[in-house]
Amino acid sequence: MTALTRRKFNKLASASLATLATPLFAPTVLGQGKPKLVIIGGGPGGGTLARYVHKDGAGAIDVTLIELQKSFTTCFFSNLYIGGFRSFASITHNYEKIKKEGIKVVHDTAAAIDRDKKQVVLSGGRRIPFDRLAVAPGIDIKFESVPGYSEAASQSMPHAWKPGAQTQLLFKQLSALKDGDQIVMIAPPNPYRCPPGPYERVSMFAHTLKKKGFKKSRIIILDPKPAFSKQALFMEGWEKHYPGMIEWQDPKVHGGIKGVDPKSNSVKTDLATYKAALVNVIPAQMAGKIARDASLTDASGFCPIDPNNMKSKVDGNIFVLGDACIAGEMPKSAFSANSHAKVAAMIVRSELINSRAFPARYVNTCWSLIETDDDIKIGASYEPKDGAIKQTTGFVSQKGEAASVRKDNYKESLDWYNGIVSDIFG
Amino acid sequence: MIVRGRTPNRLTTTAILSIVTVTFFTQTQAASTADFELGRYLAAECMTCHRAATSTSTIPNIFGLDEAHLSEVLRAYRAKDLPNPVMQNIAGALNDEEISALATFFAKTRKPW
Repeated sequence: MTALTRRKFNKLASASLATLATPLFAPTVLGQGKPKLVIIGGGPGGGTLARYVHKDGAGAIDVTLIELQKSFTTCFFSNLYIGGFRSFASITHNYEKIKKEGIKVVHDTAAAIDRDKKQVVLSGGRRIPFDRLAVAPGIDIKFESVPGYSEAASQSMPHAWKPGAQTQLLFKQLSALKDGDQIVMIAPPNPYRCPPGPYERVSMFAHTLKKKGFKKSRIIILDPKPAFSKQALFMEGWEKHYPGMIEWQDPKVHGGIKGVDPKSNSVKTDLATYKAALVNVIPAQMAGKIARDASLTDASGFCPIDPNNMKSKVDGNIFVLGDACIAGEMPKSAFSANSHAKVAAMIVRSELINSRAFPARYVNTCWSLIETDDDIKIGASYEPKDGAIKQTTGFVSQKGEAASVRKDNYKESLDWYNGIVSDIFG
Repeated sequence: MIVRGRTPNRLTTTAILSIVTVTFFTQTQAASTADFELGRYLAAECMTCHRAATSTSTIPNIFGLDEAHLSEVLRAYRAKDLPNPVMQNIAGALNDEEISALATFFAKTRKPW
């Protein structure tokens, strides 16, 4: 498809009023019955795409959402659960409203994508045909990226970077700590889901220790990166709320993370070996299995896409949304996935039922809670440029802001959560 | 177009000008109505935060909002005359046509689905 830039769009829009008379829902004949959109993954990307195509397409497109889980716990706000600000139930959602809207929800595993036949193969062998497919499987953990770590080891050293039982395990371990117990976090290398997430999580650890009145416990972050998202703001907040409790080590300090030993609950670096009561290991990440199996990924482990439409560069009938794709300068976040889905929804409708197409545009905002009512945020707008998604405008909270500003940020983040989960799950 | 139907057979210059003016205005209106689709697309961006707004939420409800008022508010955010960097960022990426399309969409859309 020819890229539709904003400049080209404005030219087209002003060229003729005849353009405005284009039928909105004249179906493209692709086969018998309604054109079919199949979506793999019922998270922020998949859920949003399903609902927007179904609603804005006025039911003219047959939408099937394949998601194994019957309830979905959001990774966003899971740190607030760990910090005791939210219940687990409040960040867990189901698909009942989506079903009632008329979207077919199949609770099964997409075992394979037959790209030649344009079919998704389910775990039992059933095949679901598609005219367009969207793949939004999120991330998988690269356990082997941390020597000594494995899926089995995550049962004692949780990553909690995919929501659900891992998140609850981490909360349980945090709740069981005694004063003097140490916490070690291994932070992930770029690119990874939710750039400020590890540091908000550390803030929630510290909040819990402080609330319990612990004086001797410490938190060490072993980071493979030389810098991290909103670093100056987090460090200012840690010094203000948790003085002396958190130590961040970059590679220059620790000299390299050598590995973990699940039996002794320890982490070895070039500098030292740390034995801790709680070890939170957040390894490197890659696109979810189905995207890798369908050869939609490149050497980075994530899926290259066309920034004008969110289509896979490998297969023009397939969209890749959310954390699994390479979205240029956009961070991997639920907000980003939700934004990808809206561009994809517009393109799907234009291709399957001839509705109008508009230039792609994207947006993201991330809020992070440091301590009660002290919330910081970062955000940006994006457009396709030079073959990638590039930032056009942006902002970030400032150091030394008034407490009232930070409190308003927190209230805003709560409202945003209500909005986005309603956008995704109905 | 109603005016054209009422136009006498012998048109005066003034009447012709009126027709031209009204026709142009009507077409502008048509364009505005058609831009509802652009508004629908752009509004999807707003829905993420605003769709669950209540009378007491920090993020306000913008569904059913007066068209001129929403345009004015978005322009004020774009000019950074209103505080809140999230909205300054969103509005900063909108041109006049896009602001009009959004204002039209939300004025005519009373509630989220």
